[in-house]
Amino acid sequence: MEKQKRNFLDVIRKLPIESHTLLLIIILILVIIFFSIVNADKGFLSARSVNSMGIQLAEIGILAIAMMVTSLVGGINLSVNATANLGAVLSGYYLYKLFPPPPTGGIAAIFTQINMPESVDPFILVVALLIPLVVGVISGILNGYLVGYIGVPPILATLATMSLFTGLAAGLTKGRTITGFPTQFEFVANQSLLGIPLPFLIFVVLTGITFVLLNRTTFGFKMRMLGTNEVASRFSGINNKDVIMKTYIYSGFLSSIAGIIVMSRTMSAAYEYGATTYVLLTILIGVLAGIQGGFGNVINIFISMLILQGLSTGFQMLLQGVRGSAFFKDFSWGVLMLIIFVINFFTRKSDRKSAKS
Amino acid sequence: MIKKLVKSNEFIPLVIIIVLSLVVGLINPNFLTIATLFDLVRASNVYIILALALLPVVILGGVDISFVAIAAVASYSTHMFLLARGYQGGMLTYVIMACAIGAFAGLFNAFFVNKFKLPIFDVSLATQTMWYGFTLFFVGATSNFDIPEGLVGYYARYLTRVSDPITGETGLHISILYVIVIAIFLWWFLKYTMIGRGIYAIGGNKEVAERTGFNINRIHLVVFLIMGVLSGFAGVLQGSFSRNFNPTLFIGQNLDVLAAIILGGAAIKGGRGTVIGTILGVVLTQIINRALVLTQIPAEWQKFVVGLILIIFTSIPAIKENRKKQVGRTTELVEVTVAE
Repeated sequence: MEKQKRNFLDVIRKLPIESHTLLLIIILILVIIFFSIVNADKGFLSARSVNSMGIQLAEIGILAIAMMVTSLVGGINLSVNATANLGAVLSGYYLYKLFPPPPTGGIAAIFTQINMPESVDPFILVVALLIPLVVGVISGILNGYLVGYIGVPPILATLATMSLFTGLAAGLTKGRTITGFPTQFEFVANQSLLGIPLPFLIFVVLTGITFVLLNRTTFGFKMRMLGTNEVASRFSGINNKDVIMKTYIYSGFLSSIAGIIVMSRTMSAAYEYGATTYVLLTILIGVLAGIQGGFGNVINIFISMLILQGLSTGFQMLLQGVRGSAFFKDFSWGVLMLIIFVINFFTRKSDRKSAKS
Repeated sequence: MIKKLVKSNEFIPLVIIIVLSLVVGLINPNFLTIATLFDLVRASNVYIILALALLPVVILGGVDISFVAIAAVASYSTHMFLLARGYQGGMLTYVIMACAIGAFAGLFNAFFVNKFKLPIFDVSLATQTMWYGFTLFFVGATSNFDIPEGLVGYYARYLTRVSDPITGETGLHISILYVIVIAIFLWWFLKYTMIGRGIYAIGGNKEVAERTGFNINRIHLVVFLIMGVLSGFAGVLQGSFSRNFNPTLFIGQNLDVLAAIILGGAAIKGGRGTVIGTILGVVLTQIINRALVLTQIPAEWQKFVVGLILIIFTSIPAIKENRKKQVGRTTELVEVTVAE
C-alpha cells in the first residue's frame, strides 16, 4: 500500500506539468462536477450559461494577465483597471468632442451623450479604437520609467499612476459616464465565432501569446531571471531597466484591450468602472495562480479565472432567490484561497522532506 | 534641532500642508477659518484611526488590505446584532463589541501569516474578499439607517461650537479626543516598548531582527491585534457619523489609506514611519479635497492631484538614493585604483 502510494506520487512528480497547475485543474474539475450536479435543472453547463461566463471572465482575465506579467518581474501594476478606463474614456471624449449633442438637448447630469451621426467616416472609428491602445502604451512607458529608471517601488509608482489616470478620466468627464458609442463598436463584445464569444477568444489568444512570450522567447527568460534575482540578472548582462520598461508597456497594452472590451460590452465609458474591485481581483487571481517574482505560468491564470467564474456563476445559480446571493462568491473565493494556501504549505513541506531523505 | 526637523520625513507633508493652506487661503479667505479647521478635523478623524490601524503593518514591511473589510464586518455585524435585540444605548457597547470582532479578524490574519509562513499581502487579499462576502451574504446586503437612540445626534456632539459661513454651525467633534488618546498610545507603544521596537527592527531587516532574538510570531500577533481593534473602532465611528451602517463600508479605500500613510513619510519596504507623519498624511489628502472645492476646481480632479503629488513624492527619495549609489560606486572605483 505504502509503496503504491509513493509510486503514484512519483508519477505525479514526473508529469510534465507543475504541481500547482495540477492542483488548480483538480479544483476546476471538482467545481464543474459539483455545480453540474447541484445545478443540473438550472443548466450550469448549458450553452447560454457557458457563453455568458465566457464574456464575463474575458475582461477580468485579460487584466489579470496584465497584472501577472508585472508580478513575474517582481513588480505589481495597480493601474491596470485605471488604464483600461482611461483609454475608453479618452476614446469617448474624442468622439464627444467631434460630435457634441445639440446645445438645447440637456441630458441628465450623470451622462455625457455622444451624438453619433448616421454615417461616419471609418477613419474616425479607427482612431477611436486606436486611442485606448496608445493610452495603454503611454501608461506602460510612464510606469516603466518610474519603476525601472527612477527606481520607485512598483506598488507606489503604480498606486500613483492609478490615482493619476482615474483622476484624469474623472476630471475630463466631470465624473459622468460617456454613452452613445457608435454601434459599429458592438462587434468586439457581442459577436461570436463558431459559437464562442469573441471576448473569450481574445482572452484565449492573449493567453497563448503571453505563454509563448514567457516560455519560448529570450525576453521571457530575461523577465523570469529579473523576477528571481535582480542583482544576478544585472550581472549576467541583462538590461534590467529595459526589461522592466517593456514589461510594463505590455501590461498597459493588455489593460487597454480589456478597456476596449468593456467599452464595447457596455457601450459606455466611465472613470469608475470596476474601480472598487477589479484591481484587487486581478491580484487575487495572480496569487491563486501561484505567481511570484520569477515563477508562474500564464496557464495557471487561465485556469484560476475559470475556477473563479465557475464559483461565481455556480453559487449564483444555486442560491437563486436567496437574499444577497450575488455576494456568496466573494466569501467562497476568500475561503478557496485560504484552502489553497494551506494545501501549498503542506505540499511544500512534504517536498522538502522527500528532498531531504 | 531645526536641522533635525528639516531632515525628518514628516517635514515635507508639513510644508505642503502649510503652503497649500496659504495658497488656498489667499484665493478664498473662507479657507483660513476655525470652522474649516474643525470640519477638517471631523472629516479626518475616522481616516486617521484607520491609517493608524494600518501603520504598524506598514512599518513591519507588509501591506495589509483587509483592514477595511474588518471595519465593515465588525461595525455592521455589531449594529445588526444589537438592532435585533432592541438595544437603545450609547457608543460604549458598540465600540466594545466591534473591537472584539475586529480583534478576532486581525488574529485570524496573524494565524495564517504565522502558521503557514505566508506573505501578509496574500493573506489579507483572501480575508478581505472573504469578510466582505461574509458580511454581505450572511449578515445583510443593504445599508441600515435605524440607529439606536443613544447614537442619535452623535454626529453633532461637539466640544465647542463656532458659526460656519457655509453650513451655519459647526464645532470641534468629540471624536478628536479618541484620536488623541489612540495616537499617544500608539506613539508610546512604537517608541518605548520592546514589541514596538521589534516592529521597526523586522521592517528594517527581518533576518537580523530574528537573530537578535525578537519573537516574530508574537510581534505579528500584536500588530494584527492592533490593526483589528482600531479598524473595528473606525468602522463604528464612521457608522455613527454618517448615521447608517453599511456592509460595504470603506470598500476600495484601502489603497487611499495606504497612499496617505506613504505621503506621511512611511517607507513601503518597512522600517520607517511615524504616528505624526501618518496623521499629517491623512490631513494632507483631506486638505487637497477641500482646497479643490474652495478654489473652484471641480472635485473630480482630486485623484489626479493626489496622483501627481504621489509621483513627485515617491520619486524624490528614489532619485536621491540613485545618486548616493552612483557616488558610492565612483568612490569605490577610486579606492580600488588607489589600492592598485
